[in-house]
Amino acid sequence: MEVYLGVDVGSVTTKLAAVNKNGELLGHIYLPTQGKPIEMVQTGLREIKGQLPQEVDICGVATTGSARYLAGVVVGADLVKNEITCHAMGTLHYIPEVQTIIEIGGQDSKIIIVRDGIVTDFGMNTVCAAGTGSFLAHQALRLGIGIEEFAQRALTSRTPVRIAGRCTVFGESDMIHKQQMGHQIEDILYGLCQALVRNYLNNVGLGKKIDSPIVFQGGVAFNQAIVKAFHEELKTEVIVPPHHEIMGAIGAALLVYEEVLSKNRRSQFMGFGTSEAKYHTTSFECESCPNLCEIAQLVLDDQVLARWGGRCDLWERVQAEEVK
Amino acid sequence: MRVTLPHMGNLCIPFKSIFQRLDIDYVIPPLNSRRTLSLGIKYSSEGLCIPFKLILGNLIEAAELGADTFLLPGGYGICRLGYYAKTQEQILHDLGYKNIKVVEVVVSNDQLSGPSFVKMIKSLSNNASWLKVASVVRFGLSKLKALDQVERVVQKVRAVELVKGTANQLLAETVKAIDQADDYRALKTVQSDYIDQLNHVAKDEQVRPLVVGIIGEFYVLLEPFASFDIESELGKLGVEVKRRLFISEWTKFSLLPNPLKISERDQLYRAAAPYLKRDVGGEGWESVGEKVLRAKEYDGIIHLAPFTCMPEIVAQNIMPITKEKIPILTIICDEQMAKTGLLTRLEAFVDLLARQRRTHYNKQLGVV
Repeated sequence: MEVYLGVDVGSVTTKLAAVNKNGELLGHIYLPTQGKPIEMVQTGLREIKGQLPQEVDICGVATTGSARYLAGVVVGADLVKNEITCHAMGTLHYIPEVQTIIEIGGQDSKIIIVRDGIVTDFGMNTVCAAGTGSFLAHQALRLGIGIEEFAQRALTSRTPVRIAGRCTVFGESDMIHKQQMGHQIEDILYGLCQALVRNYLNNVGLGKKIDSPIVFQGGVAFNQAIVKAFHEELKTEVIVPPHHEIMGAIGAALLVYEEVLSKNRRSQFMGFGTSEAKYHTTSFECESCPNLCEIAQLVLDDQVLARWGGRCDLWERVQAEEVK
Repeated sequence: MRVTLPHMGNLCIPFKSIFQRLDIDYVIPPLNSRRTLSLGIKYSSEGLCIPFKLILGNLIEAAELGADTFLLPGGYGICRLGYYAKTQEQILHDLGYKNIKVVEVVVSNDQLSGPSFVKMIKSLSNNASWLKVASVVRFGLSKLKALDQVERVVQKVRAVELVKGTANQLLAETVKAIDQADDYRALKTVQSDYIDQLNHVAKDEQVRPLVVGIIGEFYVLLEPFASFDIESELGKLGVEVKRRLFISEWTKFSLLPNPLKISERDQLYRAAAPYLKRDVGGEGWESVGEKVLRAKEYDGIIHLAPFTCMPEIVAQNIMPITKEKIPILTIICDEQMAKTGLLTRLEAFVDLLARQRRTHYNKQLGVV
């Protein structure tokens, strides 16, 4: 059976999705990255193999997410694609009439505007990480409640408190202040959800025309309280699609299918055996100029597979020469 | 007296030529690096923009090499730039560089004032004749023009070269050769030689590259360090970059009055007028005008703005609502900008433009 793999390695979670050529989802994996992208990709490969039939032929593999280049080398990617294009592709597969995609992940949040099935505009959080999954997780931890319990408690709020959502720092001190004044935990929690939504719409969504159908996806879309807050703020329905948390990986898999089809090439997939290989990364300081860039390299059996991290492309050129 | 000036693109090349020919003692600060930025950040107030911080870093690094006379952009206008020279002088003073002199090079409306520029250079020289100063300045500015001519070709070649990085390497060689050129004849040979070489770089002749216009605040447009060399990154993605602003544009001296308002700038102002009727400082007005005027010409526009830059924030908020539509991506340049974040946005933007172009063609061909 022909199978296409999408691997999405984000800062907080690693996602894998396997689809067949009709775009049907055959298997998917959702793991915490825990700062170990290579190991998690390997674990993911092992686990997804167990979900697939015995006789699979991996015809294409694509990587996306912030560690897409690293993951691309590890799995032997046929396509390395940015997460914005991948997310849009995944969502369009399930909800072709979508006009606005709200995506909130662990460390970043984006908005993708789609018209007639084509991405026409997008935005990403730039200088501030307020209103991402990590911020919520951190606040939940501070209040001593689990992230799962967070949504349930928040949904019971009757009189949510107003928390400044413009900035994480102000938001946090505002929250502590409200706590000390004796407000209910659930009111603070839901206030936080509203702040996150306001912050998102005022920053990432600034100047964008948010038309329905609106799709909300990414890890934070698990949180029903945030879904409710979006619904209230936008005064319209917000759809959370199935598999919303792995949409990027699904999109990557669909894109590599297109790519393989148009280029008619054999996949460079390293095979599931790559999950046993002993990769390690090292880094050094380049002394070719005063920039002193930190160059990271991926090593397998004393052989350097890839180098990154320079302001210029010196080390990428060295790498290309060595491969020759 | 030892003169210096901050970096901005290849600005130091013409000045080096002018200083050498007038026997002015000078020092060019080390190229922008992380150290430059760290120094700039350390001694600036936090909310200031990246141009201020990098320039301050240059000045400190030049002062370490004995510079005591600093040429700095100055002038009037609504943006904070007008007081940067004064503030930086004060900071250097506080750092212990007591006997320093700041010479403001007045740039207003993106134009150096010719006579006052020549006068300023003369004041630095050891009583050189007006004639000599004028001719030396003219030659220096010719170097700038030659550099910009070559760079315009590089912007085209980067998009289609088969071996990525070739054009950049030739550009680096050009900068060196133009720096060493001694007279107009040598300069002309260097310019035509390198343009010729660039034209003969192995290219992919099949593709018609996407064209992206780069607009925004002039320092981040002209200093590659401030934008992670965004033009080269776009070149790697197969995009041809167009930019209105080149340093040599400043030096089209405004000696003659312009009663008919036919300059490119006036065109931009007229184009922007339905949405913005006045100067908002910096390049804000021009940015809006360029978006309106070039919406049909380019596939997309990338708008560069330093973090906290008021004029460009005004422009950023006006641009999405103009009736002339074109995809636009605003990139905020600041100290902590990570390259991965920039690349993600650029790649997604280029994907978007490529898909739009394909759909547009399919529509023209009647394919749905």
